[in-house]
Amino acid sequence: MKKSLLILLLCPLFLFAQDFSNEDYIYLKRHEHIKIGLKNHKFDIAKNISEQAEFLTSNKLYFANESMHFDSFTSIEDIDAYTYIPSQDKKVKVDYIETKRAFDNGVFYSDQESKNFIFPAVTKGAITNLSYKEIIKDPHFLGLFRFGTYVPTKSAQLSIEFPKNVNIGYIDFNTENINLDFKKEDTKNGYTYTWTVDNIKGYQGEEDSEAILYYLPHIIVYIKNYEEDGKVHNVLNDVNDLYKWYSSLVDQIDTSSLQKVYAIAEDITKDLTTDREKAETIFNWVQDNITYVAFEDGLGGFIPRGAASVCDKRYGDCKDMANLLYEMLNHVGIESYRTWIGTRDRHYSYFEVPTPMVDNHMITTAMVENDTIFLDATDSYVPFGMPSEFTQTKEALLGIDADNFKVIKVPVQNADKNTSTITSHFSLEDGIVKVSEKRALKGYEKVNFISDYTYKKDDKTEEEFLNTTLSLGNNKTNYSNITLENFDNKSTPLQLGYDLSIDSYAKTIGNKTYINLNIDRSLSNSSIDLEDRKYSKKIDHEFIKNFTTTFKVPEGYKVNYVPKDLTFDNPEYGYSISYAVDGDTITQNKSIYVKTLSIQNKDFETWNSFIKSLIKAYKKSIIIEKI
Amino acid sequence: MIKKALIVLLFVSTSSSFSQHFRTYDWTEKPKLHKLSAEDEKESSIGILKKHIVEYASSMMSPEPKRYETEHTITRVNDDKGIARHNTVYIPMYEVKKVVDIKARTINAKGKVTVLNQDNIKEVKNVDEYGDFKIFAIEGVEKGSEIEVLYTVEKEFDMYGSETMQSNYKINEAQFIFITGKLNSNVKAYRTDSTFKDVTIDGDNAKSLTLKNIPAMVEEEYATPDANKITVVYQCFPQGQDITQDMFWTNVSNNVGGRFFPETATSKIDADLATIIEGKTDLSVFEKASRVDNFIKSNFNVIKNNNDELSDLDYILKNRSASDFGIIKVYANFLKALDIEYEVVITANRFQYKFDPDFFIPNMLRDFLIYLPTEKKYIAPDRIEYRVGEAPFNILGNYGLFIKSDFSHYFSKISQADPDYSQVNRITDITFTEDFESTIIDMHQEFTGHWSVTNRAVLNLSSEQGVKEFKDYLTASGIEDKESLSFETKNGEINQTEYNLPFIVESKVSSESLIEDAGDSYIFQAGLIIGTQSELYQETERVNPIEMTYPNEYNYTITVNIPEGYTVEGLSSLNIDESYKDSKGNKVCKFESGYKLDGNTLVITIQEFYKTLEYDLDRYEEFRNVINAASDFNKAAILFKPIE
Repeated sequence: MKKSLLILLLCPLFLFAQDFSNEDYIYLKRHEHIKIGLKNHKFDIAKNISEQAEFLTSNKLYFANESMHFDSFTSIEDIDAYTYIPSQDKKVKVDYIETKRAFDNGVFYSDQESKNFIFPAVTKGAITNLSYKEIIKDPHFLGLFRFGTYVPTKSAQLSIEFPKNVNIGYIDFNTENINLDFKKEDTKNGYTYTWTVDNIKGYQGEEDSEAILYYLPHIIVYIKNYEEDGKVHNVLNDVNDLYKWYSSLVDQIDTSSLQKVYAIAEDITKDLTTDREKAETIFNWVQDNITYVAFEDGLGGFIPRGAASVCDKRYGDCKDMANLLYEMLNHVGIESYRTWIGTRDRHYSYFEVPTPMVDNHMITTAMVENDTIFLDATDSYVPFGMPSEFTQTKEALLGIDADNFKVIKVPVQNADKNTSTITSHFSLEDGIVKVSEKRALKGYEKVNFISDYTYKKDDKTEEEFLNTTLSLGNNKTNYSNITLENFDNKSTPLQLGYDLSIDSYAKTIGNKTYINLNIDRSLSNSSIDLEDRKYSKKIDHEFIKNFTTTFKVPEGYKVNYVPKDLTFDNPEYGYSISYAVDGDTITQNKSIYVKTLSIQNKDFETWNSFIKSLIKAYKKSIIIEKI
Repeated sequence: MIKKALIVLLFVSTSSSFSQHFRTYDWTEKPKLHKLSAEDEKESSIGILKKHIVEYASSMMSPEPKRYETEHTITRVNDDKGIARHNTVYIPMYEVKKVVDIKARTINAKGKVTVLNQDNIKEVKNVDEYGDFKIFAIEGVEKGSEIEVLYTVEKEFDMYGSETMQSNYKINEAQFIFITGKLNSNVKAYRTDSTFKDVTIDGDNAKSLTLKNIPAMVEEEYATPDANKITVVYQCFPQGQDITQDMFWTNVSNNVGGRFFPETATSKIDADLATIIEGKTDLSVFEKASRVDNFIKSNFNVIKNNNDELSDLDYILKNRSASDFGIIKVYANFLKALDIEYEVVITANRFQYKFDPDFFIPNMLRDFLIYLPTEKKYIAPDRIEYRVGEAPFNILGNYGLFIKSDFSHYFSKISQADPDYSQVNRITDITFTEDFESTIIDMHQEFTGHWSVTNRAVLNLSSEQGVKEFKDYLTASGIEDKESLSFETKNGEINQTEYNLPFIVESKVSSESLIEDAGDSYIFQAGLIIGTQSELYQETERVNPIEMTYPNEYNYTITVNIPEGYTVEGLSSLNIDESYKDSKGNKVCKFESGYKLDGNTLVITIQEFYKTLEYDLDRYEEFRNVINAASDFNKAAILFKPIE
């Protein structure tokens, strides 16, 4: 009798449980318990992690690979791992664990290491079990916990246990649509907070989307303060404490031999009069002369290297360049500040999350003639006056002095700063379409072209590079007389010119010849798959593309047809195309704009109708007729 | 005790009495910028010098010679890309006993010299599979600087080695110096006409190879550029020894054979055998081998790490984890138990190494296959996507060392027994909705051979995003506004017991972009139905010999249903005929398309194939014409005109 009652009780659970039977591999549990101890102002922090996963099929045995990362702020201890095979009631223990390093494309030297092993004897039905302890050596880095991960999890749990004289802060993200249970326990020795979610689906990244933490349910916990000796001591109570800590790190910068740096700053600005010119010259000098090489090495990863040493070595990472700019600019009398910032991958605010999790980058902010100018020399091509593309919309934390800071939002760079102006002259010679085209690129349009040209062209010839990046006309488009001017980090537009010869493009049937003037089909493959798409679409920068295209009607022909004017108008994106005939010249004016950095799910249909309308407009040809 | 001390003393004194070239070799005290040609100034970077010295120093008292390697490079960097290419240096510590010296300096365009601060050399331990490294960033580099790096390491004694002399940037002068004194040695250079000269260095016999103006090895399609670089291989033997290539190969065959051909299978696999065979007594050799392959790949992981036990059979069977070497033992036991004849093949990925039966270098013994001579089929033990069939495409065409059960060996080119192994057979039906608003593309596709292997792997093993992109690729890729109406795959399981079972895709998509308005007529971009075909460019002289990914064939039938009230025009663009014939006049690769018009039905047929793996570099243009014929077809357009 008792048994059946139990089954009845379980029933509702099964009803609500998600069906994961189509999966190859799922987590049965991922639990993390953080235990905080405190004695004489010294924290003793350990995370106890325990995970259990099941192979539902034998398709993806590679999931048996396990790695646990650590660096100089953490260590991994007490690893216990084994595979359990239910059908044989057999346990096979992991008996070989290797500590490894990896070379990362973006970071030259990192202190990150990993402990790696492979669960033995995995096959369909196998259940892997892992538990270990992660010791956290610095109370600023409690980390974050992901309720969801790349495959579904049946039970995800974070708990944190701490003494009563410690105050914990927490903030969760993207948990609106999951059933997050939160519980506080009060025991003799302290408090325990526990967050639990059952049956949470898998989360995998999508192309052209924001970073995964924009939609993956997760939580950040941090130590706000503690009371000892009758006094409250802040750790990361709010952004003030975060800054105080950053400021203490900045105090450790090596300031020896700065005269060398000053001499360069003086030398390159000696003939300049305005602050703006001086700031621009110094910024360009650092862009041009210091190569980006990244290091992540303990607290060294947070403390910029001395400006003189960076100057000597001619390389550095973001914080090294930021500090060098700071020294050079201030020396010539330009008010400027070291600035912490998160790139667009990190979507937190300093005011919500007062932890080093918020930022991953450093720049310099200069105040020039009442303008706030964000200077990021890690981008070798961004013009003075514009922030780097990936810092737009982000909060910048300016270190004013040892105790004071300011948080300013980096503004979005409006579409009219990032323009492509394309002028094309079409003619028809022996059935082959000839085009003489000029492109003037400004702002991020220029920056991105130059960095693609520099780093992605590889062994391709200029023609092949242009053909694959611009995709003008058809796959037989031939380029000649390629010219490139203003290939630099200045705000003058990049001028790109070339002549095209496009075979089999014009279609002649009877007396009529059909020519499509839309050889550039920007955005035509950017419609969103409504069925499968899960997350918002990320746009790197706002832009406007203006096309002026003329077609010279050959002798012996007259204009038979020009398409009607078409537009799609929306505050955030749209286009307009119009045609005009004047004598033997047909002129097409076309403008395409995108004035947003993100397309939210609710706007997908509008976006798609924009793209659909644009493709339709691209399909319209002019028709000329033999007289 | 005294004797020992004496030996040590003697050892010290003798070894110092032997000259070692690296001790005297040095860079010039005061570096000067080199004068480059105007053309070289335009390159992102230019190798001015690459010198590699390998020195085997023998000693009377020690049976093993000492082995030193010195690398000296001077490189000009002209732009950001050049700087990024050369400003970080990674020195592998694999087999290194001792670092004798590492130094680096730069000289900028104004002549200012910056010497590397030794404290900035970092050590990185156990990087992935590559071992330890010393790494540093070059200091003081600017555009127009020259970077000079010079280091010497002492390595553990090993009889062989290799050095790549070509890079992805031009090198004006390269030199390989091989100092072996009285020791017997062999040295060979691949892919260069330059020859070794006998020289004497500090009284020691040596060979020297000098190469001038080595072009950059470029990435090209239908090529294996990494494996095509100019490379030097060498062997040097202990005092008084001389070993022939055949002795080396026989040694390997005996060594490996002893491990991979058990006299009887271990009884520890009995339970698994029962699972595999399921009591069936009438299984063919092929099916038995396939079942073994399926079983092992569903129950064992092949692992790359430093755990020596991964090649121990008992450990492997318990943990179901093995190294790429150890997994062969598992196969060997199952095959033995099932009485299947097999040979073990040692070879290499042809995109990385060209296996040379005439010169033994362990470096080239990278991949293991199992060959079933009665079936003429291969098993690729460490490739989870492959099942019993042809050899993996990245090995196809390379030579291999085949070891038989009596430990005898032979060499053979790894070829495909079935020349028509890999095909894409596609039947497409095209209809239009009213007023040509959209085009409906209904496709039935059958993929065989390497196509089906890759397709199954992507479908089963990749991420959600990967599967999404794959779906797009399978259904007329490149049609920009395509909407999926239905999509289904058949025979998608990786585990198969039937030889070359086709992977089938049934799909239906609609698109509005294939039709363009032209007054009262409509232009249909028929050529885009075959998916975007990229043009094969060649404005600079082709460097690499032509090698296909694998021989393959496409057979397409496209039926266009012409809407009522319309006729078609402009069909001539559908006719394409390009081919490349061998010396006997047989077409070895071709693209042929044509059409038949029958009432309201237009049937377009395309046959494209590449029967062999390699093509003559001299006839590159003909080959390119066949490849580009597909992109020509992409442009084919037909006109639907109302019947007047």
